Amino acid sequence: MPAEILTGWHAAGSSSSGTGLAQEHMVSHSLSRVDDSALIREAQRGNRAAFEELVRQYDQAVLRLALNLTRSEQDAQDIFQEAFLKAYRNVGNFRFECSFYTWIYRIVVNLCLDHLRKKKVRKENSAVAVDENGAEHNLLDQVADPRAGANPERDLLRRELGARIAGALERLTPRERMVFELKHYHGLKLRTIGEMLETTEDTAKNTLFRATQKLRGTLAEMR
Amino acid sequence: MNCEWVKASLIEYVYDEMADDARHELERHVERCSECGEELQATRRWHQQMAARPSMEPTPNLLAASRMRLQESLEHAEQVAGWQRWVFDPGAWLRQVRYSPALAAAILMAGFAAGIMTTYGITSRRSPGLNSAVSPSEATIAGIRTITQEPGSERVEIRYDRTLTESTEGRLDDPRIQELLLYAARNNSNSGLRLDSIDLLRQKPEDDRVREALMYALRYDQNPGVRLKALDGLRAYVRGDIRVRDAVLEALVNDPNAGVRTEAIRILQEVRADASVRVALEQLATSDQSHYIRSESRRVLNSLPEID
Repeated sequence: MPAEILTGWHAAGSSSSGTGLAQEHMVSHSLSRVDDSALIREAQRGNRAAFEELVRQYDQAVLRLALNLTRSEQDAQDIFQEAFLKAYRNVGNFRFECSFYTWIYRIVVNLCLDHLRKKKVRKENSAVAVDENGAEHNLLDQVADPRAGANPERDLLRRELGARIAGALERLTPRERMVFELKHYHGLKLRTIGEMLETTEDTAKNTLFRATQKLRGTLAEMR
Repeated sequence: MNCEWVKASLIEYVYDEMADDARHELERHVERCSECGEELQATRRWHQQMAARPSMEPTPNLLAASRMRLQESLEHAEQVAGWQRWVFDPGAWLRQVRYSPALAAAILMAGFAAGIMTTYGITSRRSPGLNSAVSPSEATIAGIRTITQEPGSERVEIRYDRTLTESTEGRLDDPRIQELLLYAARNNSNSGLRLDSIDLLRQKPEDDRVREALMYALRYDQNPGVRLKALDGLRAYVRGDIRVRDAVLEALVNDPNAGVRTEAIRILQEVRADASVRVALEQLATSDQSHYIRSESRRVLNSLPEID
């Protein structure tokens, strides 16, 4: 393997203090020498280290998406595992027709959609999450809101609103939920969302519109 | 431009998905039309309200556990070769079959029938007294799965899992021994055994799999002693193998143990001209919590020629 390919050390220390911005940029550029396509080609030749390097670039974002969609650490971990194993097995079929980012997200999005569909059937409660030990706990109780701070009344109101939103999200179809999550909480462009869902930007836009209408309606009903 | 179009476009507007000219038109319309202006305010309020649902961030523990689990699975995973796409895949075929309910039902019924007949064949041939070839005393019982008593009799069926201890011996270059050492280095919950296996493996770092195992231990092992041993085994390759250098750099910046970071500085001295090493040392020289590491980093940096 060419030595320069596997230099995927995204140094935590690339923002060295005492150096100018331009120098910092230059250094960080020299540090992020990882080139996705070179890594993909290496991974396609069966180089596991190259694939692991690719994984490290996307794993946090993938885990975050799965965690926010499933609201369960165990399920998120399962999706994470399945997505990257699927990517590893099929990396040979990757034809560079889209970015690796879109490709890996497409795999995760499909797995999450499957999960949401199954969950819809089981009618699980979204606010209750299951941790690695199988213990159930309310996610909304766990997330501290720095804005509420010393105001418990406001904190309580926010929690109530959070629970209402979680309930409203549960009432969306899996596809609406996915588009809304990717747009609202992950800030992706509708064009990218369309690519990930293997549909057009217009369809993604319409799905987002439907999702927001439903959410507004449900939240108004809950008041 | 009419109010209907504006109302239908407000979501695109708040999510910043509009083309510049359409955005301009919409803003001009909203200035003139109070009804659409109120609708825009309501949409904005709703948009802000949605932030009340907390976003979950993966904890470092969850991320580390997920990475380790994936790494273990990748050990045994195989890639789908190009030609396999053209070969008949019963799994994929069955997945398609699920969309054909009648055929799926027929296959399911045939499977049931075959299963019942096979089970009947096995149970009718089985001798009444001996159900297991190995007595439980020969192995450790890992767990009991089910206990079933036949109605109206004293016969009891117990299903259990067992573990059998085996031993093997051989030279360090024996592939079987190496396989077991690699397994112990990654999977054993006993840190003493991991330490022993890493200690033995580092004598053979020229093997690519061994080097991978040493880098893995350096990155993920909880025990600083194991990480130090791994570091020692990788020392000779820090110059020639860029992956090794990256792993040592990661340890230098991120390892919580000051001893490991100090050792990493020592090992990286011979490649101190590398820009990545320089940046990492600059960071440590100013912000490491250990006074010794700060001064060591400064010392190595001072020995470098100035770069414009």
